Amino acid sequence: MKAAQAGDRSAYAEALRLSIPIIARVIAAQRNYGLEMDDLVQDVLLALHSVRHTYDCNRPFIPWLVTITRHRVIDAYRRRNKVSKNETAMPELPETFSTADSNWILEGIGDPDLLRNAIKDLPIQQRRAVELLKMRELSLKEASAVSGMTVAALKIAVHRGLKTLRARLTGHRAEPDNRLN
Amino acid sequence: MSKKTEDLIEQLAAAAEPVYCLGSPFRRTLIWFAWSMPWIAAGILIWGLRADIKALSSDVRWLIEEGAALATAIMAAMAAFCAGVPGRPHWEHYIPLMPLAIWMGILVQGCVQDWLALGSISFVLRPDWQCILDIAVLGLGPAIAITFMILRGSPIEPTTTTSLGALAAGSLAAAALRLIHREDNSLMILVWQVGAVFGLVFLGGIFGRRILRWRVAGAS
Repeated sequence: MKAAQAGDRSAYAEALRLSIPIIARVIAAQRNYGLEMDDLVQDVLLALHSVRHTYDCNRPFIPWLVTITRHRVIDAYRRRNKVSKNETAMPELPETFSTADSNWILEGIGDPDLLRNAIKDLPIQQRRAVELLKMRELSLKEASAVSGMTVAALKIAVHRGLKTLRARLTGHRAEPDNRLN
Repeated sequence: MSKKTEDLIEQLAAAAEPVYCLGSPFRRTLIWFAWSMPWIAAGILIWGLRADIKALSSDVRWLIEEGAALATAIMAAMAAFCAGVPGRPHWEHYIPLMPLAIWMGILVQGCVQDWLALGSISFVLRPDWQCILDIAVLGLGPAIAITFMILRGSPIEPTTTTSLGALAAGSLAAAALRLIHREDNSLMILVWQVGAVFGLVFLGGIFGRRILRWRVAGAS
């Protein structure tokens, strides 16, 4: 280590390599608090590098190394605790986030593609009524003026159209509506 | 040893420039004292020595008190420098306690003596905020000097190191203030001067972890 302090790089690398078993033993003796051994060893090596000028050649090396290791393990444990204090352990991630955009139902009745295709398959009058009254949200009078259908015909067409859509999207067969036929 | 650890050793070894080693705590204490003296001397020159200094120089009690305050400053500085060196024995942190106990003891004994001589009138406490301010001003130079010096050590015990550093700076300022202020009431000295020193120690302890940090990537 004395040679390392003087700038001897190979002596320094050797000193670090020889320090690793001692560092590992100290970490193991401190039960490493569930931290990754390799991470801790590297952290101690970095710390040792930053304070290598504090080693006094007239004193034993091992107490110097052990003290640094012990303090770095405790600091790492404190750091981990600081982070984990602000975290909540969850068994699995929630399926969606709270924003409305992320809550689209991709399959089934809420699937926009499925709905678009079902509307396309409707008979022309029902499709026109659904588009004008439900998608463009026109009033019955406006829809009647645009389509040329009567208000009564529009009401019947939109009712049948919605019923057909519901049946297609949920997989149930539409029951015949005798009242409106 | 993992590949990453081996790579790290290679990197650290490649970056290993010669370093200027820390001197012994005793030598560093002498340097700190030498750096602090011009500041203290300037304070004494500006405010002036108290008029009865000649008479006090033959007062054994005053000399013991002054010596104990000075010894506390020196021992606390030495302990602060020891605390920044990993692997040094723990008992070294407590070396300033002995002169501190003598200093406190002589002041408490003075309080008792005053009480026996004057009765309850000796326990009348006047506000003396100027004393705290003077200690802060006189202690500023030594505090800055010791802060720079302890920053060179290891931050293994930051709170202890900065508290001891503050005790050193505060005690030196208190010893210097006894050469300036004409205040000899032991209770007043105990409350305002020593109180200010302990206030500095408290502040030093609070800011210890902020002042002394590991300069390691990802360290707290």
